[in-house]
Amino acid sequence: MKTMKKYFLILLLVLIALSLSACTGRRVAATGWSEITLKEDIAYFSYGPQVYALNVKNGAQQWVYPVEAETGIDFYAAPVFADNETQLIVASYDSNLYSINPATGRENWSFTGAENRYVAAPLVIEQGIFAPSSDNKLYGVDLNGIPLWEPFETGEPIWASPAWSESCGCIYVASMDHILYAISPETGSLLWKTEDLGGPIVSQPAVSESGLVIVSTFNNEIVALDEKSHRVEWRFHTPDWAWASPVIDGEQVYTSDLSGTFYALELASGKLLWQLQPGGSIVSAPLVQDGQIYFATDASSLVVVSTDGVVQRNLPIEGKLYASPASNGDIILLAPSEAEFFLIALNQNGTQIWGYPPAE
Amino acid sequence: MWDTFITLMITVLLFIYDFVGQNFGWAIIIFTVLVRLVTYPLTAKQMKSSKAMQELQGSKKWNDIQKKYKGDKEALAQKQMEIYKEMGISPFGSCLPLLVQFPVIIGLYQAIIRALAVTPIQLVNLSKHISDGANLIPIHSQFWWMDLSEPERLTMFGVAVPVLAILVVITSYIQTKMVTPPTQGTADAGGQGAQMTKAMSLYMPFFMGYLALTFASGLALYFIATNLATIAQYVLTGQADFKNILPKLPARS
Repeated sequence: MKTMKKYFLILLLVLIALSLSACTGRRVAATGWSEITLKEDIAYFSYGPQVYALNVKNGAQQWVYPVEAETGIDFYAAPVFADNETQLIVASYDSNLYSINPATGRENWSFTGAENRYVAAPLVIEQGIFAPSSDNKLYGVDLNGIPLWEPFETGEPIWASPAWSESCGCIYVASMDHILYAISPETGSLLWKTEDLGGPIVSQPAVSESGLVIVSTFNNEIVALDEKSHRVEWRFHTPDWAWASPVIDGEQVYTSDLSGTFYALELASGKLLWQLQPGGSIVSAPLVQDGQIYFATDASSLVVVSTDGVVQRNLPIEGKLYASPASNGDIILLAPSEAEFFLIALNQNGTQIWGYPPAE
Repeated sequence: MWDTFITLMITVLLFIYDFVGQNFGWAIIIFTVLVRLVTYPLTAKQMKSSKAMQELQGSKKWNDIQKKYKGDKEALAQKQMEIYKEMGISPFGSCLPLLVQFPVIIGLYQAIIRALAVTPIQLVNLSKHISDGANLIPIHSQFWWMDLSEPERLTMFGVAVPVLAILVVITSYIQTKMVTPPTQGTADAGGQGAQMTKAMSLYMPFFMGYLALTFASGLALYFIATNLATIAQYVLTGQADFKNILPKLPARS
């Protein structure tokens, strides 16, 4: 009986160890998603510890970076083009910014100045590469990865990609400290900033041609600010945290929240035009193409809706959809999490053409 | 049901986090101590059963039957059961409360990791557990020199020292030695079970240390807090045997 008890204790310890291991992996489980970047027939995206380049037509792998997955590296941020599309910039969870040759997948350079993880994709404009970090700072580097200026510091981590405003000539940086900052890309200095907007901001602001900057906040609000007066033009209340980046299409703004409600608002006033609640949370920006809106939910569905709010299709997809759909006009690409494939291609009828990695 | 349980734990953990000025390290420590207090009746029952078993296994009667039925395992087991029945002791009396605590321990750890929410999907998932906690985001995982979401190392004179993992090994060793009764009676009485106990009390702290070394330091902090809470419980109830902590030297012949 005593021996049995000891075996029982050992079994219990093994169970505890297994349960804890299942919870953590090698550390706090690195869980994120990457948006998809499309260039002609090649899709670039990150998944876990590697960045992939795939042929959009058939899903054939062009290259993978790094060739062997390394412990400690994860990519959550979408790859973005720089230097006339001769560089692909990817920000990593290992606090480094990498430049990769988009043709070969070989590393050009890396910038190692950040002190914490990159979650969001950098902004690439003529003046340089602007990478937001979880160390609360925005880093500006040139096309060789050389710092342009001292990093601009906010009060909390920055998980939102910065946005460029042509009319302001500034970069908008939204931080988890509830504030939107307008930064000069030439000097890295602050041009203006908002007051506390009430909640963390984790997605890229949208800038309209009419001079409105629209941000989603965890204060259950979509807030529109006037670029010139710096005042709040309108606020739209949502029942849950607003995570996804708003998308401006003509005179409408498409946005959503974690309750799973998708909204079409009037750009000028923030007035609700229509709304849908297909189920699941929505964290990604919609894709607007040819008069149709595609948005993904974490309840495994891709919803296609007309710009006047009529649901065209609700396609079940295996896995949770956190990343925005991408399209080259013919093919729609989705990057599901917790699924067999981490990139799938659908035709316009919603039929899956291929999945990556290919089934064995 | 498990999700509701985790949500409850996360809510309490984040309430403490907010209450102590948004310090996640102190929130883990206070939360661990609170959970230990809530589960104290179970722990007390386990301690009581362990003590009764310890006394029984040191008794003459017990040692006598070990000797008498040395070669007959079946008869020995039967006699042992008779003694348990006679003394009113359940052989699993100290295991069952531990079994009940098992989901609490796992739930506590899951609550800590989920509440830290250092990655996007973790934050999406956390939002489903907290209805109105946007003012707590981002959760500050820095505690003294540690990032509680990462394995801990303290650089001293150019050397990265895993301070928490070392503390986990030390406190686990002390705790295990206090909880595990010393091997008593004859060598036969100890037998395989006693050897296993001895091996466990030696390997277990290193196993815990390995977990602390590899996983998020929030887990290591939890291990230390729970070990210290257990040691305190034994000390406060007068059941701590500090002589048992130091390894016994073999007696001179």
